[in-house]
Amino acid sequence: MNKDLRKKIVQMVYNGRDGHIPSAFSIIDILDMLYESYLAHDPKNPSWSQRDYFILSKGHGCVALYVVLQKYGFLAETELEGFCRKGGILGEHPDYTKVPGVEASTGSLGHGLSFAVGVALGLRIRNMANKVYVLVGDGECHEGTVWEAAHVANNLQLGSLCVIVDRNGSAAQLMPRDDLPAKWRAFGWETIVVDGHSAAELRAAFERVNFELRGTPTAIVANTVKGKGVPMLEGHGIWHHRIPSSEEHKLIMEALS
Amino acid sequence: MTMAFEKSMRQQFADTMLTVGQEDPRLIVLIGDISHFILQPFARACPGRFYNVGICEPTIVGMAAGLAKVGFYPVVHTIAPFIVERSFEQIKLDFCYQQLGGNLVTVGSAFDYANLGCTHHCYGDFALLKTLPHAQITYPASPVEFDALFRQAYTSGVLTLYRVPAHQHGQAFNAEDILLGKGIRVTEGRNLTIVATGPQLRNAMEAGEELKSHGWQAEVLYIHTIQPLDVELIRASVRKTRRALVVEEHMCNGGLGDDVLRATREIPRVQHASLSIPNTFVTGYGTYQDHCETLGLTREGIVRQVRSAFGSPKGEVVWQR
Repeated sequence: MNKDLRKKIVQMVYNGRDGHIPSAFSIIDILDMLYESYLAHDPKNPSWSQRDYFILSKGHGCVALYVVLQKYGFLAETELEGFCRKGGILGEHPDYTKVPGVEASTGSLGHGLSFAVGVALGLRIRNMANKVYVLVGDGECHEGTVWEAAHVANNLQLGSLCVIVDRNGSAAQLMPRDDLPAKWRAFGWETIVVDGHSAAELRAAFERVNFELRGTPTAIVANTVKGKGVPMLEGHGIWHHRIPSSEEHKLIMEALS
Repeated sequence: MTMAFEKSMRQQFADTMLTVGQEDPRLIVLIGDISHFILQPFARACPGRFYNVGICEPTIVGMAAGLAKVGFYPVVHTIAPFIVERSFEQIKLDFCYQQLGGNLVTVGSAFDYANLGCTHHCYGDFALLKTLPHAQITYPASPVEFDALFRQAYTSGVLTLYRVPAHQHGQAFNAEDILLGKGIRVTEGRNLTIVATGPQLRNAMEAGEELKSHGWQAEVLYIHTIQPLDVELIRASVRKTRRALVVEEHMCNGGLGDDVLRATREIPRVQHASLSIPNTFVTGYGTYQDHCETLGLTREGIVRQVRSAFGSPKGEVVWQR
Protein backbone atom coordinates (compact mmCIF):
# COMPACT_ATOMS: atom_id res chain seq x y z
CA MET A 1 0.00 0.00 0.00
CA ASN A 2 1.60 3.23 -1.14
CA LYS A 3 1.22 5.84 1.59
CA ASP A 4 3.24 8.58 -0.11
CA LEU A 5 1.04 8.62 -3.19
CA ARG A 6 -2.05 8.59 -0.97
CA LYS A 7 -0.75 11.62 0.88
CA LYS A 8 -0.24 13.43 -2.42
CA ILE A 9 -3.78 12.58 -3.45
CA VAL A 10 -5.16 14.01 -0.21
CA GLN A 11 -3.03 17.12 -0.51
CA MET A 12 -4.20 17.74 -4.09
CA VAL A 13 -7.85 17.38 -3.15
CA TYR A 14 -7.38 19.51 -0.03
CA ASN A 15 -5.66 22.29 -1.98
CA GLY A 16 -7.88 22.09 -5.05
CA ARG A 17 -11.07 21.87 -2.95
CA ASP A 18 -12.40 19.16 -5.23
CA GLY A 19 -11.85 15.50 -6.12
CA HIS A 20 -12.75 11.93 -5.17
CA ILE A 21 -10.30 10.64 -2.55
CA PRO A 22 -11.78 7.17 -1.87
CA SER A 23 -12.11 6.37 -5.59
CA ALA A 24 -8.46 7.31 -6.09
CA PHE A 25 -7.32 5.30 -3.07
CA SER A 26 -8.94 2.11 -4.36
CA ILE A 27 -6.89 2.17 -7.59
CA ILE A 28 -3.62 3.82 -6.61
CA ASP A 29 -1.77 0.58 -5.84
CA ILE A 30 -2.82 -0.87 -9.19
CA LEU A 31 -1.70 2.19 -11.14
CA ASP A 32 1.62 2.47 -9.35
CA MET A 33 2.49 -1.15 -10.10
CA LEU A 34 1.37 -0.84 -13.70
CA TYR A 35 3.56 2.19 -14.38
CA GLU A 36 6.46 0.81 -12.36
CA SER A 37 6.67 -2.64 -13.92
CA TYR A 38 4.30 -3.40 -16.76
CA LEU A 39 3.45 -0.37 -18.89
CA ALA A 40 5.99 0.65 -21.53
CA HIS A 41 6.12 4.44 -21.46
CA ASP A 42 8.43 7.36 -22.11
CA PRO A 43 7.63 10.54 -20.19
CA LYS A 44 9.92 12.52 -22.49
CA ASN A 45 7.86 11.35 -25.46
CA PRO A 46 4.32 10.56 -24.27
CA SER A 47 3.21 9.72 -27.84
CA TRP A 48 6.09 7.23 -28.35
CA SER A 49 4.82 4.74 -30.93
CA GLN A 50 6.00 1.71 -28.95
CA ARG A 51 4.26 2.72 -25.73
CA ASP A 52 1.56 0.70 -24.08
CA TYR A 53 -1.78 2.41 -23.55
CA PHE A 54 -3.48 2.97 -20.23
CA ILE A 55 -7.03 4.33 -20.32
CA LEU A 56 -8.65 5.33 -17.06
CA SER A 57 -12.28 4.77 -17.94
CA LYS A 58 -13.48 5.66 -14.43
CA GLY A 59 -12.26 9.19 -14.91
CA HIS A 60 -13.29 10.38 -11.45
CA GLY A 61 -10.35 8.42 -10.03
CA CYS A 62 -7.99 10.69 -11.96
CA VAL A 63 -6.17 12.16 -8.97
CA ALA A 64 -4.54 8.73 -8.60
CA LEU A 65 -3.49 8.89 -12.25
CA TYR A 66 -2.12 12.43 -11.84
CA VAL A 67 0.11 11.54 -8.90
CA VAL A 68 1.37 8.46 -10.74
CA LEU A 69 2.07 10.50 -13.89
CA GLN A 70 4.01 12.93 -11.71
CA LYS A 71 5.94 10.12 -10.02
CA TYR A 72 6.98 8.66 -13.39
CA GLY A 73 7.97 11.98 -14.93
CA PHE A 74 5.04 13.05 -17.12
CA LEU A 75 4.01 15.94 -14.90
CA ALA A 76 5.87 18.49 -12.83
CA GLU A 77 5.09 18.93 -9.15
CA THR A 78 3.82 22.41 -9.97
CA GLU A 79 1.16 20.91 -12.25
CA LEU A 80 -0.27 19.00 -9.28
CA GLU A 81 -0.48 22.26 -7.36
CA GLY A 82 -2.70 23.66 -10.11
CA PHE A 83 -5.31 20.91 -9.71
CA CYS A 84 -8.80 22.36 -10.22
CA ARG A 85 -7.40 25.89 -10.36
CA LYS A 86 -7.86 28.48 -13.06
CA GLY A 87 -5.09 28.08 -15.61
CA GLY A 88 -4.22 24.55 -14.48
CA ILE A 89 -4.31 21.52 -16.78
CA LEU A 90 -5.61 19.04 -14.22
CA GLY A 91 -9.33 18.88 -13.64
CA GLU A 92 -11.59 16.49 -11.83
CA HIS A 93 -11.72 14.33 -14.91
CA PRO A 94 -8.69 13.84 -17.17
CA ASP A 95 -8.41 15.71 -20.47
CA TYR A 96 -6.31 14.00 -23.08
CA THR A 97 -5.82 17.21 -25.03
CA LYS A 98 -4.16 18.87 -21.99
CA VAL A 99 -2.39 16.30 -19.85
CA PRO A 100 0.76 14.51 -21.05
CA GLY A 101 0.39 10.76 -20.56
CA VAL A 102 -3.41 10.78 -20.47
CA GLU A 103 -4.67 8.67 -23.38
CA ALA A 104 -8.39 9.47 -23.28
CA SER A 105 -10.66 12.17 -21.91
CA THR A 106 -12.99 10.30 -19.61
CA GLY A 107 -15.57 11.09 -16.99
CA SER A 108 -18.87 9.96 -18.43
CA LEU A 109 -18.80 6.29 -17.48
CA GLY A 110 -18.98 3.53 -20.04
CA HIS A 111 -16.85 5.14 -22.75
CA GLY A 112 -13.32 3.93 -22.08
CA LEU A 113 -13.62 0.29 -23.03
CA SER A 114 -15.26 0.91 -26.42
CA PHE A 115 -12.57 3.48 -27.16
CA ALA A 116 -9.89 1.00 -26.09
CA VAL A 117 -11.36 -1.68 -28.34
CA GLY A 118 -10.79 0.71 -31.25
CA VAL A 119 -7.24 1.44 -30.12
CA ALA A 120 -6.42 -2.28 -29.77
CA LEU A 121 -8.02 -3.11 -33.11
CA GLY A 122 -6.15 -0.31 -34.87
CA LEU A 123 -2.83 -1.41 -33.42
CA ARG A 124 -3.46 -5.00 -34.45
CA ILE A 125 -4.31 -3.99 -38.01
CA ARG A 126 -0.84 -2.43 -38.09
CA ASN A 127 0.60 -5.58 -36.52
CA MET A 128 1.80 -3.59 -33.52
CA ALA A 129 2.06 -5.43 -30.21
CA ASN A 130 1.44 -2.49 -27.86
CA LYS A 131 -0.58 -3.55 -24.84
CA VAL A 132 -3.84 -1.76 -24.05
CA TYR A 133 -4.94 -1.57 -20.42
CA VAL A 134 -8.29 -0.12 -19.38
CA LEU A 135 -9.40 0.45 -15.82
CA VAL A 136 -13.17 0.45 -15.25
CA GLY A 137 -15.12 0.80 -12.04
CA ASP A 138 -17.48 -1.88 -10.79
CA GLY A 139 -20.25 0.72 -10.69
CA GLU A 140 -19.31 1.62 -14.26
CA CYS A 141 -20.04 -1.99 -15.17
CA HIS A 142 -23.72 -1.10 -14.84
CA GLU A 143 -23.33 0.74 -18.13
CA GLY A 144 -24.50 -1.33 -21.10
CA THR A 145 -21.71 -0.07 -23.32
CA VAL A 146 -19.17 -1.90 -21.13
CA TRP A 147 -20.79 -5.17 -22.12
CA GLU A 148 -21.25 -4.17 -25.76
CA ALA A 149 -17.52 -3.54 -25.89
CA ALA A 150 -16.68 -6.70 -23.94
CA HIS A 151 -18.71 -8.71 -26.43
CA VAL A 152 -17.04 -7.07 -29.42
CA ALA A 153 -13.52 -7.43 -27.97
CA ASN A 154 -13.96 -11.15 -27.44
CA ASN A 155 -15.43 -11.68 -30.89
CA LEU A 156 -12.59 -9.73 -32.50
CA GLN A 157 -10.15 -11.72 -30.33
CA LEU A 158 -8.37 -8.62 -29.08
CA GLY A 159 -5.81 -10.41 -26.94
CA SER A 160 -3.76 -7.27 -26.42
CA LEU A 161 -6.59 -5.82 -24.35
CA CYS A 162 -6.56 -6.11 -20.55
CA VAL A 163 -9.38 -4.70 -18.46
CA ILE A 164 -8.84 -4.06 -14.77
CA VAL A 165 -12.09 -3.86 -12.83
CA ASP A 166 -11.82 -1.76 -9.68
CA ARG A 167 -14.26 -3.82 -7.64
CA ASN A 168 -14.48 -1.50 -4.68
CA GLY A 169 -18.07 -2.36 -3.86
CA SER A 170 -19.75 0.68 -5.38
CA ALA A 171 -21.87 -1.54 -7.59
CA ALA A 172 -22.87 -4.01 -4.90
CA GLN A 173 -24.23 -1.35 -2.56
CA LEU A 174 -26.85 -0.61 -5.23
CA MET A 175 -27.29 -3.93 -7.03
CA PRO A 176 -26.02 -6.70 -4.78
CA ARG A 177 -27.18 -9.61 -6.94
CA ASP A 178 -24.13 -9.52 -9.17
CA ASP A 179 -21.15 -11.74 -9.93
CA LEU A 180 -18.68 -9.69 -11.91
CA PRO A 181 -16.04 -12.40 -12.47
CA ALA A 182 -18.74 -14.75 -13.77
CA LYS A 183 -19.98 -12.02 -16.10
CA TRP A 184 -16.56 -11.42 -17.63
CA ARG A 185 -16.08 -15.17 -18.01
CA ALA A 186 -19.52 -15.43 -19.62
CA PHE A 187 -18.45 -12.80 -22.15
CA GLY A 188 -15.53 -15.04 -23.04
CA TRP A 189 -12.76 -13.16 -21.26
CA GLU A 190 -9.88 -14.79 -19.43
CA THR A 191 -10.72 -13.65 -15.91
CA ILE A 192 -8.42 -13.34 -12.93
CA VAL A 193 -9.57 -12.27 -9.47
CA VAL A 194 -7.03 -10.62 -7.16
CA ASP A 195 -6.70 -8.48 -4.08
CA GLY A 196 -6.17 -5.08 -5.66
CA HIS A 197 -4.03 -3.89 -2.77
CA SER A 198 -1.71 -6.91 -2.72
CA ALA A 199 1.48 -6.30 -4.65
CA ALA A 200 2.14 -10.01 -4.94
CA GLU A 201 -1.31 -10.84 -6.29
CA LEU A 202 -1.32 -7.91 -8.71
CA ARG A 203 2.13 -8.86 -9.98
CA ALA A 204 1.06 -12.46 -10.48
CA ALA A 205 -2.04 -11.36 -12.35
CA PHE A 206 -0.25 -8.96 -14.69
CA GLU A 207 2.31 -11.65 -15.49
CA ARG A 208 -0.42 -14.14 -16.36
CA VAL A 209 -1.83 -11.97 -19.15
CA ASN A 210 -0.81 -13.38 -22.53
CA PHE A 211 -1.24 -10.27 -24.65
CA GLU A 212 -1.47 -12.29 -27.84
CA LEU A 213 -2.21 -10.07 -30.79
CA ARG A 214 -5.08 -12.37 -31.70
CA GLY A 215 -6.32 -14.10 -28.58
CA THR A 216 -8.62 -13.95 -25.63
CA PRO A 217 -8.80 -10.59 -23.87
CA THR A 218 -8.17 -10.58 -20.13
CA ALA A 219 -10.15 -9.10 -17.25
CA ILE A 220 -8.43 -8.67 -13.91
CA VAL A 221 -11.14 -8.22 -11.31
CA ALA A 222 -9.35 -6.42 -8.50
CA ASN A 223 -11.09 -6.57 -5.15
CA THR A 224 -10.35 -3.22 -3.59
CA VAL A 225 -11.50 -1.03 -0.74
CA LYS A 226 -12.82 2.41 -1.43
CA GLY A 227 -10.68 4.80 0.63
CA LYS A 228 -8.19 2.01 1.40
CA GLY A 229 -5.58 3.00 3.93
CA VAL A 230 -7.49 5.49 6.09
CA PRO A 231 -10.27 3.92 8.16
CA MET A 232 -12.37 7.08 8.30
CA LEU A 233 -12.45 7.22 4.47
CA GLU A 234 -13.17 3.57 3.83
CA GLY A 235 -16.53 2.36 2.57
CA HIS A 236 -19.41 4.11 0.88
CA GLY A 237 -20.38 6.92 3.14
CA ILE A 238 -20.07 10.64 2.83
CA TRP A 239 -16.48 10.67 1.66
CA HIS A 240 -17.10 9.81 -2.00
CA HIS A 241 -16.85 13.44 -3.05
CA ARG A 242 -16.10 15.19 0.25
CA ILE A 243 -13.28 17.67 0.77
CA PRO A 244 -11.50 17.37 4.12
CA SER A 245 -11.64 20.24 6.57
CA SER A 246 -8.33 21.32 8.07
CA GLU A 247 -8.94 19.08 11.08
CA GLU A 248 -9.92 16.11 8.90
CA HIS A 249 -6.92 16.74 6.67
CA LYS A 250 -4.68 16.51 9.72
CA LEU A 251 -6.31 13.27 10.85
CA ILE A 252 -5.99 11.69 7.42
CA MET A 253 -2.34 12.64 7.10
CA GLU A 254 -1.65 11.23 10.56
CA ALA A 255 -3.33 7.97 9.57
CA LEU A 256 -1.02 7.76 6.56
CA SER A 257 2.14 8.45 8.56
CA MET B 1 -31.28 20.74 -66.14
CA THR B 2 -32.66 17.62 -64.51
CA MET B 3 -31.74 14.08 -65.29
CA ALA B 4 -32.42 10.67 -63.86
CA PHE B 5 -29.65 8.96 -61.90
CA GLU B 6 -29.48 5.23 -62.06
CA LYS B 7 -27.01 4.89 -59.22
CA SER B 8 -28.45 4.96 -55.73
CA MET B 9 -26.90 7.06 -52.99
CA ARG B 10 -26.05 3.95 -51.03
CA GLN B 11 -24.31 2.42 -54.04
CA GLN B 12 -22.27 5.60 -54.40
CA PHE B 13 -21.29 5.32 -50.75
CA ALA B 14 -20.08 1.77 -51.37
CA ASP B 15 -18.25 2.79 -54.54
CA THR B 16 -16.55 5.71 -52.82
CA MET B 17 -15.43 3.49 -49.96
CA LEU B 18 -13.97 1.06 -52.49
CA THR B 19 -12.01 3.63 -54.46
CA VAL B 20 -10.85 5.74 -51.51
CA GLY B 21 -10.11 2.61 -49.49
CA GLN B 22 -7.82 1.32 -52.20
CA GLU B 23 -6.03 4.66 -52.35
CA ASP B 24 -5.73 5.18 -48.60
CA PRO B 25 -4.84 2.35 -46.19
CA ARG B 26 -5.98 4.48 -43.25
CA LEU B 27 -9.66 4.28 -44.27
CA ILE B 28 -11.62 1.80 -42.17
CA VAL B 29 -15.35 1.07 -42.26
CA LEU B 30 -17.49 -0.03 -39.31
CA ILE B 31 -21.15 -0.84 -39.90
CA GLY B 32 -24.11 -1.64 -37.68
CA ASP B 33 -25.42 -4.52 -39.75
CA ILE B 34 -26.71 -2.60 -42.73
CA SER B 35 -25.24 -2.32 -46.24
CA HIS B 36 -23.22 -5.45 -45.51
CA PHE B 37 -23.53 -6.95 -48.96
CA ILE B 38 -23.12 -3.75 -50.93
CA LEU B 39 -19.83 -3.13 -49.08
CA GLN B 40 -18.35 -6.54 -49.88
CA PRO B 41 -16.20 -5.17 -52.74
CA PHE B 42 -14.59 -2.83 -50.18
CA ALA B 43 -14.21 -5.69 -47.71
CA ARG B 44 -12.49 -7.85 -50.33
CA ALA B 45 -10.27 -5.06 -51.65
CA CYS B 46 -9.30 -3.77 -48.22
CA PRO B 47 -8.89 -6.81 -45.99
CA GLY B 48 -8.89 -6.15 -42.27
CA ARG B 49 -10.56 -2.77 -42.69
CA PHE B 50 -14.23 -3.72 -42.77
CA TYR B 51 -16.13 -4.68 -39.62
CA ASN B 52 -19.80 -5.45 -39.30
CA VAL B 53 -19.84 -4.88 -35.56
CA GLY B 54 -23.54 -5.57 -35.09
CA ILE B 55 -26.23 -3.78 -33.15
CA CYS B 56 -24.25 -1.76 -30.61
CA GLU B 57 -24.03 1.71 -32.08
CA PRO B 58 -22.56 3.62 -29.12
CA THR B 59 -19.74 1.12 -28.96
CA ILE B 60 -19.20 1.34 -32.71
CA VAL B 61 -18.81 5.12 -32.42
CA GLY B 62 -16.49 4.76 -29.41
CA MET B 63 -14.42 2.15 -31.25
CA ALA B 64 -14.18 4.44 -34.24
CA ALA B 65 -12.79 7.21 -32.04
CA GLY B 66 -10.20 4.75 -30.69
CA LEU B 67 -9.24 3.89 -34.26
CA ALA B 68 -8.89 7.61 -35.01
CA LYS B 69 -6.59 7.96 -32.03
CA VAL B 70 -4.15 5.48 -33.55
CA GLY B 71 -4.18 7.12 -36.96
CA PHE B 72 -7.09 5.68 -38.94
CA TYR B 73 -9.86 7.55 -40.75
CA PRO B 74 -12.93 5.70 -39.50
CA VAL B 75 -16.31 5.58 -41.21
CA VAL B 76 -19.32 4.58 -39.12
CA HIS B 77 -22.37 3.61 -41.12
CA THR B 78 -25.88 2.71 -40.09
CA ILE B 79 -29.38 4.16 -39.79
CA ALA B 80 -29.40 7.83 -38.80
CA PRO B 81 -31.17 7.84 -35.41
CA PHE B 82 -29.02 5.02 -34.08
CA ILE B 83 -25.84 6.92 -34.76
CA VAL B 84 -26.81 10.53 -34.20
CA GLU B 85 -29.37 10.21 -31.42
CA ARG B 86 -28.58 6.95 -29.62
CA SER B 87 -24.82 7.52 -29.76
CA PHE B 88 -24.81 11.28 -29.37
CA GLU B 89 -22.67 11.27 -26.25
CA GLN B 90 -20.03 9.12 -27.93
CA ILE B 91 -19.98 11.57 -30.85
CA LYS B 92 -19.75 14.50 -28.47
CA LEU B 93 -17.13 13.17 -26.06
CA ASP B 94 -15.16 10.47 -27.85
CA PHE B 95 -14.79 12.44 -31.08
CA CYS B 96 -15.51 16.14 -30.67
CA TYR B 97 -14.29 16.80 -27.13
CA GLN B 98 -11.14 14.79 -27.84
CA GLN B 99 -10.66 16.60 -31.16
CA LEU B 100 -10.51 13.37 -33.13
CA GLY B 101 -11.61 13.17 -36.74
CA GLY B 102 -14.15 10.69 -38.04
CA ASN B 103 -16.95 10.14 -40.49
CA LEU B 104 -20.58 9.25 -39.84
CA VAL B 105 -22.45 8.12 -42.94
CA THR B 106 -26.13 7.80 -42.13
CA VAL B 107 -28.98 6.46 -44.18
CA GLY B 108 -32.63 6.93 -43.34
CA SER B 109 -32.56 10.69 -43.70
CA ALA B 110 -35.52 12.44 -42.04
CA PHE B 111 -38.52 10.17 -42.78
CA ASP B 112 -37.00 8.13 -45.61
CA TYR B 113 -37.96 4.98 -43.72
CA ALA B 114 -41.49 6.24 -44.09
CA ASN B 115 -43.42 3.20 -42.93
CA LEU B 116 -41.04 2.21 -40.15
CA GLY B 117 -42.33 4.97 -37.92
CA CYS B 118 -40.69 7.39 -35.57
CA THR B 119 -38.16 4.92 -34.18
CA HIS B 120 -36.46 4.98 -37.57
CA HIS B 121 -36.94 8.65 -38.42
CA CYS B 122 -34.31 11.29 -37.77
CA TYR B 123 -35.14 14.93 -38.42
CA GLY B 124 -33.29 16.58 -35.55
CA ASP B 125 -29.77 15.64 -36.58
CA PHE B 126 -28.71 19.10 -37.83
CA ALA B 127 -29.85 20.63 -34.55
CA LEU B 128 -28.02 18.08 -32.44
CA LEU B 129 -24.71 18.20 -34.29
CA LYS B 130 -24.78 21.99 -34.54
CA THR B 131 -24.31 22.06 -30.77
CA LEU B 132 -20.93 20.35 -31.14
CA PRO B 133 -17.64 22.14 -31.69
CA HIS B 134 -15.27 20.21 -33.94
CA ALA B 135 -18.13 18.85 -36.09
CA GLN B 136 -19.33 19.52 -39.60
CA ILE B 137 -22.56 18.50 -41.31
CA THR B 138 -23.04 17.61 -44.95
CA TYR B 139 -26.20 16.58 -46.79
CA PRO B 140 -25.24 15.26 -50.22
CA ALA B 141 -28.32 14.47 -52.30
CA SER B 142 -26.66 13.28 -55.48
CA PRO B 143 -23.94 10.68 -55.97
CA VAL B 144 -21.37 13.15 -57.27
CA GLU B 145 -21.84 15.27 -54.17
CA PHE B 146 -21.29 12.38 -51.79
CA ASP B 147 -18.10 11.37 -53.52
CA ALA B 148 -16.76 14.92 -53.70
CA LEU B 149 -17.68 15.89 -50.15
CA PHE B 150 -16.34 12.67 -48.68
CA ARG B 151 -13.01 13.06 -50.44
CA GLN B 152 -12.72 16.64 -49.20
CA ALA B 153 -13.73 15.91 -45.62
CA TYR B 154 -12.70 12.44 -44.54
CA THR B 155 -9.16 13.38 -43.52
CA SER B 156 -10.09 16.83 -42.20
CA GLY B 157 -9.52 15.91 -38.56
CA VAL B 158 -13.02 16.87 -37.49
CA LEU B 159 -16.14 14.80 -37.06
CA THR B 160 -18.17 14.89 -40.28
CA LEU B 161 -21.76 13.80 -40.71
CA TYR B 162 -22.87 12.76 -44.18
CA ARG B 163 -26.67 12.67 -44.09
CA VAL B 164 -27.34 10.43 -47.08
CA PRO B 165 -30.94 10.53 -48.31
CA ALA B 166 -32.65 7.78 -50.24
CA HIS B 167 -33.99 10.29 -52.75
CA GLN B 168 -31.99 12.57 -55.01
CA HIS B 169 -32.68 16.08 -56.19
CA GLY B 170 -31.96 15.29 -59.84
CA GLN B 171 -29.66 18.21 -60.57
CA ALA B 172 -26.49 17.37 -62.47
CA PHE B 173 -23.63 19.09 -60.68
CA ASN B 174 -20.02 18.80 -61.69
CA ALA B 175 -17.69 17.36 -59.08
CA GLU B 176 -15.40 20.39 -59.29
CA ASP B 177 -18.30 22.65 -58.33
CA ILE B 178 -18.93 20.77 -55.09
CA LEU B 179 -16.89 22.46 -52.40
CA LEU B 180 -17.21 21.67 -48.72
CA GLY B 181 -18.73 24.66 -46.97
CA LYS B 182 -19.82 26.39 -50.16
CA GLY B 183 -23.40 26.60 -51.38
CA ILE B 184 -24.43 26.71 -55.01
CA ARG B 185 -26.51 29.39 -56.72
CA VAL B 186 -28.53 27.14 -59.02
CA THR B 187 -30.65 29.86 -60.59
CA GLU B 188 -30.36 33.63 -60.49
CA GLY B 189 -33.35 35.61 -59.38
CA ARG B 190 -34.43 39.06 -58.37
CA ASN B 191 -37.22 39.14 -55.82
CA LEU B 192 -37.18 35.81 -53.95
CA THR B 193 -34.50 33.54 -52.49
CA ILE B 194 -35.34 29.89 -52.02
CA VAL B 195 -32.74 28.12 -49.89
CA ALA B 196 -33.08 24.38 -50.43
CA THR B 197 -31.18 21.47 -48.99
CA GLY B 198 -31.32 17.75 -49.74
CA PRO B 199 -33.79 16.22 -52.20
CA GLN B 200 -36.08 19.23 -51.79
CA LEU B 201 -33.93 21.05 -54.33
CA ARG B 202 -36.01 19.25 -56.96
CA ASN B 203 -39.24 20.79 -55.65
CA ALA B 204 -37.60 24.17 -55.23
CA MET B 205 -36.52 24.20 -58.87
CA GLU B 206 -39.96 23.18 -60.11
CA ALA B 207 -41.65 25.71 -57.87
CA GLY B 208 -39.30 28.41 -59.07
CA GLU B 209 -40.42 27.71 -62.63
CA GLU B 210 -44.09 27.79 -61.70
CA LEU B 211 -43.70 30.99 -59.69
CA LYS B 212 -42.50 32.82 -62.78
CA SER B 213 -46.07 32.97 -64.00
CA HIS B 214 -46.96 34.79 -60.78
CA GLY B 215 -44.26 37.38 -61.27
CA TRP B 216 -41.61 35.82 -59.06
CA GLN B 217 -38.02 35.52 -60.17
CA ALA B 218 -36.67 33.06 -57.68
CA GLU B 219 -32.99 32.69 -56.90
CA VAL B 220 -32.51 29.10 -55.80
CA LEU B 221 -29.60 28.39 -53.50
CA TYR B 222 -28.58 24.82 -52.81
CA ILE B 223 -26.91 24.01 -49.51
CA HIS B 224 -25.09 20.68 -49.23
CA THR B 225 -22.99 21.73 -46.24
CA ILE B 226 -25.06 22.74 -43.25
CA GLN B 227 -22.04 23.36 -41.07
CA PRO B 228 -19.93 25.30 -41.84
CA LEU B 229 -22.64 27.23 -43.65
CA ASP B 230 -21.95 29.46 -46.63
CA VAL B 231 -23.44 32.55 -45.01
CA GLU B 232 -21.92 34.91 -47.58
CA LEU B 233 -23.83 33.28 -50.43
CA ILE B 234 -27.08 33.50 -48.48
CA ARG B 235 -26.51 37.10 -47.40
CA ALA B 236 -25.63 38.22 -50.92
CA SER B 237 -28.82 36.73 -52.30
CA VAL B 238 -31.13 37.96 -49.55
CA ARG B 239 -29.61 41.44 -49.68
CA LYS B 240 -30.86 41.50 -53.27
CA THR B 241 -34.24 39.77 -52.96
CA ARG B 242 -35.25 40.67 -49.35
CA ARG B 243 -37.36 37.53 -49.21
CA ALA B 244 -36.08 34.13 -48.04
CA LEU B 245 -37.88 30.81 -47.99
CA VAL B 246 -35.99 27.83 -46.57
CA VAL B 247 -37.08 24.33 -47.61
CA GLU B 248 -35.71 21.39 -45.64
CA GLU B 249 -36.56 17.91 -44.40
CA HIS B 250 -35.64 18.79 -40.84
CA MET B 251 -37.40 19.97 -37.73
CA CYS B 252 -38.14 23.67 -37.74
CA ASN B 253 -36.31 23.91 -34.41
CA GLY B 254 -32.58 23.98 -35.05
CA GLY B 255 -32.83 23.51 -38.78
CA LEU B 256 -31.32 25.42 -41.68
CA GLY B 257 -34.12 27.98 -41.37
CA ASP B 258 -32.71 29.13 -38.04
CA ASP B 259 -29.28 29.52 -39.59
CA VAL B 260 -30.64 31.59 -42.47
CA LEU B 261 -32.44 33.88 -40.01
CA ARG B 262 -29.22 34.33 -38.05
CA ALA B 263 -27.16 34.88 -41.18
CA THR B 264 -29.45 37.59 -42.49
CA ARG B 265 -30.43 39.37 -39.28
CA GLU B 266 -28.33 42.43 -40.10
CA ILE B 267 -30.08 42.96 -43.43
CA PRO B 268 -33.02 45.37 -43.04
CA ARG B 269 -36.57 44.68 -44.23
CA VAL B 270 -36.27 40.97 -44.98
CA GLN B 271 -39.27 38.66 -45.00
CA HIS B 272 -38.59 35.09 -43.92
CA ALA B 273 -40.57 31.88 -44.30
CA SER B 274 -39.84 28.24 -43.71
CA LEU B 275 -41.08 24.92 -45.01
CA SER B 276 -39.88 22.24 -42.66
CA ILE B 277 -41.15 19.66 -40.21
CA PRO B 278 -43.11 21.30 -37.42
CA ASN B 279 -42.21 20.50 -33.83
CA THR B 280 -44.03 17.20 -33.87
CA PHE B 281 -43.40 13.52 -34.60
CA VAL B 282 -44.32 12.30 -38.07
CA THR B 283 -46.59 9.52 -36.88
CA GLY B 284 -48.43 8.71 -40.09
CA TYR B 285 -47.66 5.88 -42.50
CA GLY B 286 -47.34 5.74 -46.23
CA THR B 287 -44.52 6.51 -48.64
CA TYR B 288 -41.82 9.15 -48.46
CA GLN B 289 -43.88 11.09 -50.99
CA ASP B 290 -46.96 10.78 -48.81
CA HIS B 291 -45.10 12.35 -45.88
CA CYS B 292 -43.80 15.13 -48.13
CA GLU B 293 -47.32 15.90 -49.29
CA THR B 294 -48.67 15.94 -45.74
CA LEU B 295 -45.95 18.36 -44.69
CA GLY B 296 -46.21 20.55 -47.78
CA LEU B 297 -42.71 19.63 -48.90
CA THR B 298 -43.72 19.59 -52.55
CA ARG B 299 -43.67 21.89 -55.55
CA GLU B 300 -47.23 22.94 -54.80
CA GLY B 301 -46.43 23.41 -51.14
CA ILE B 302 -43.57 25.74 -51.93
CA VAL B 303 -45.68 27.81 -54.32
CA ARG B 304 -48.42 28.01 -51.71
CA GLN B 305 -45.98 29.04 -49.00
CA VAL B 306 -44.42 31.76 -51.15
CA ARG B 307 -47.80 33.24 -51.99
CA SER B 308 -49.15 33.09 -48.45
CA ALA B 309 -45.99 34.35 -46.76
CA PHE B 310 -44.91 37.00 -49.24
CA GLY B 311 -48.13 37.92 -51.07
CA SER B 312 -47.49 39.56 -54.38
CA PRO B 313 -44.08 40.26 -55.89
CA LYS B 314 -45.29 43.57 -57.32
CA GLY B 315 -43.67 46.70 -56.04
CA GLU B 316 -41.48 47.13 -53.00
CA VAL B 317 -41.23 44.60 -50.22
CA VAL B 318 -43.61 45.52 -47.42
CA TRP B 319 -41.86 44.67 -44.21
CA GLN B 320 -44.16 43.55 -41.47
CA ARG B 321 -43.30 43.01 -37.86
